[in-house]
Amino acid sequence: MANLVAVDSKSHKDIKINNTLVEAHGKNLHLVPAVLAEFTHIALQQPIVLTKNGETGQFVCAGMFGFEEGENLFWQNQQWQGLYLPLQIQRQPFFIGEVPIQPGKEIKRENDDFLVCIDTNSPAISTTEGESLFSAKGEETPYFKQAKNCLVQIIQGELDNQMLIEQLQEMVLIQPISLEITFINKKQTRLNGLYTIDKEKLAALNHEKIFKLHQLGLLLPIHIMIASLGQIYSLIDKKNKQLAHN
Amino acid sequence: MQSTQINTANNPDNASDNNSIKKIVVVGGGIAGWLTAGRIAARHKSGTEEGVSVVLIESPGISAMGVGEGTWPTMRSTLIALGINETDFIRECNATFKQGAKFSKWVDGTDNDFYYHPLVLPQGFSKGDLAAYWLAKEQQSKVNSFSNEVCFQEAICEKGLAPKTIRTPEFDAIANYAYHLDSVKFADFLQKHCIKKLGVTYISDNVVSVNSAKDGDITSLLTKNNGDISGDLFVDCTGFSSLLLGKHYQIPFKSCKDILFIDTALAIQVAYDDEDSPIASHTLSTAQEAGWIWDIGLQHRRGVGYVYSSKHSSEEHAREILAQYVGDKFDNASVRKIPINSGHREKFWQNNCVAVGLSAGFLEPLEASALVLVELSAKMISEQLPVTRSSMDIIAKRFNETFLYRWDKIIDFLKLHYILSKRVDNSFWSENRDPNSIPQSLKDLMALWQHRSPTDNDFNSNNEIFPAASYQYVLYGMGFKSDYSHAPHLLNDWHYANQQFAQNKKLTVTAISNLPTNRELLKKVKQYGFTHL
Repeated sequence: MANLVAVDSKSHKDIKINNTLVEAHGKNLHLVPAVLAEFTHIALQQPIVLTKNGETGQFVCAGMFGFEEGENLFWQNQQWQGLYLPLQIQRQPFFIGEVPIQPGKEIKRENDDFLVCIDTNSPAISTTEGESLFSAKGEETPYFKQAKNCLVQIIQGELDNQMLIEQLQEMVLIQPISLEITFINKKQTRLNGLYTIDKEKLAALNHEKIFKLHQLGLLLPIHIMIASLGQIYSLIDKKNKQLAHN
Repeated sequence: MQSTQINTANNPDNASDNNSIKKIVVVGGGIAGWLTAGRIAARHKSGTEEGVSVVLIESPGISAMGVGEGTWPTMRSTLIALGINETDFIRECNATFKQGAKFSKWVDGTDNDFYYHPLVLPQGFSKGDLAAYWLAKEQQSKVNSFSNEVCFQEAICEKGLAPKTIRTPEFDAIANYAYHLDSVKFADFLQKHCIKKLGVTYISDNVVSVNSAKDGDITSLLTKNNGDISGDLFVDCTGFSSLLLGKHYQIPFKSCKDILFIDTALAIQVAYDDEDSPIASHTLSTAQEAGWIWDIGLQHRRGVGYVYSSKHSSEEHAREILAQYVGDKFDNASVRKIPINSGHREKFWQNNCVAVGLSAGFLEPLEASALVLVELSAKMISEQLPVTRSSMDIIAKRFNETFLYRWDKIIDFLKLHYILSKRVDNSFWSENRDPNSIPQSLKDLMALWQHRSPTDNDFNSNNEIFPAASYQYVLYGMGFKSDYSHAPHLLNDWHYANQQFAQNKKLTVTAISNLPTNRELLKKVKQYGFTHL
């Protein structure tokens, strides 16, 4: 369970963040939420799909790292094996949060917009190894500035994603992925609850709609999503190699 | 354009064009009126030039009946046909999910006397019937109730769980479901939708008189402020007053109070303790001395009511029974008394007038038959809408046959609940079992089922309203035994049966561990909404 507290230069001057352990946050995730800005990076190795948030039922974009719950084929030998680490993992152990304001205790808000919190239960937190958040003088380190930048990208990315999903739904461009896979051990799996763009419907859009997608900057991410689906074959390959190895 | 007109006028073969059905006038703005207007308008593209125009006249100041309503799963396809979004519907009509009905104290009146009539068919029903196997198992040892052994829905309902999750697309189900809804809000919601989206023309006015042609067809309705409203087909949705079919055409009313004795309802709205109180995802029906109490959970309140036979209980005593059921929240002053005149018109379509809803008939709300009959009527009228007046009589005849059959079947099915009871606390129950009060059609079915379970072959019309599965749930839920001892060879596939029983157990476990509570899901629908796929 995450325990979020607001980051401040006094309470957190001595803690350090171990980057290798940050990567471990993703070891059991088969779907990792992805924002538009990182689509090009994720598509290098993983399919980008749509799935539904379990809590809200709403569509979200996600990179696909495995075939079933708990399986991340890019985490092997206790190490992250992918070329790119998604923002949702990079950002660990930092979160954007709302903390009840306590009288007499001043909490620093970034640009008065959001509050940087840290998950004090994160295994990446250490007092000996890793990057500090604050210098001896109490100033933010370049590392912490970068970490905050990562959160900013996520916030902005959520707005972009929302725009993409709204348009996809409005133009009825989403279709379920229907795929049955047989791995080398003869075990079959059927992909459930994953969606992608309907290419035929996309091709059939009128000028006005295509132009709208273009204007909103959504044509590129849409095409990346479509192209990235081919990465399912490299995922199958990875899984088969793992099965053969074991 | 002009040449076309001249051509038509000069061509005697096209005379029928002159009486093509292009304008439908619906009288009455309750759920029946709006559902019928909406279905016709949606299918026949009202609001477009080539479409059929639909006008709805509603008397200002007449309030709808407005009790909480139960529906059938057909309501989902009705909403889809109207182009309604499920999230909007749930948000605006205080609707909740309904997964069937729980009948308590109907058999002997003891505290652990209950059974379910769920909406999911028995496991493997289309491939093989489990009833005989369940009966055989039950004879040998104590087993789960029929509904529990063959269907996973009872377990869901007992835990107050919803029939789907927020990730399930709108109108899709994990367990088949219908709705409970606030009927006043639903009528308003339909009105808005029909006017804004479907091109129905709305006139708020009183109908003063009916103008007829020589052949008896209605030509127009004279209204107080809008003059004559003409039309090709008139739909009577005027409620119990049955203005066109009953008053104008004098179509006799066929009472069935000799079969179904209930003639009075006392209805009350009951607040929840707080906004997190559980919402039952089924209708509760609890038998009482001279009738039964309905209990329907909406989002913001429950609707509760005692329907009873005034021959077998005084109103004062009925109020006491309702008070006892409701408990602390009972307020005698807010109880509404509603007369129930069980029965229906001898026909529903006369000349160019068809009645839908209470104007056609009404029965006690035991299996929520009121709205489903409205839906089926609206569907048939819209799908079979005659193109010309000359084909209308054929449709009218079929409509009358279809719906007379359906009313009879509903009456049989409702009566079934009474004849299987063993209650002796009031003559209401023993008189209900008097063979003279049981329709011959039901007696025949009961005779067949002495030796085998109901099958779909027992109901061979295209217009069947309750499937054989519903009869099974009620029969075996109420302790009826079909005796297979004369034909043990019919139980020749225990392997299949055991597989199905096991499958049902598996589905039960999965459902219970994955479904949210009814209340939780409704909160999420309000916050996030369902997606379309």
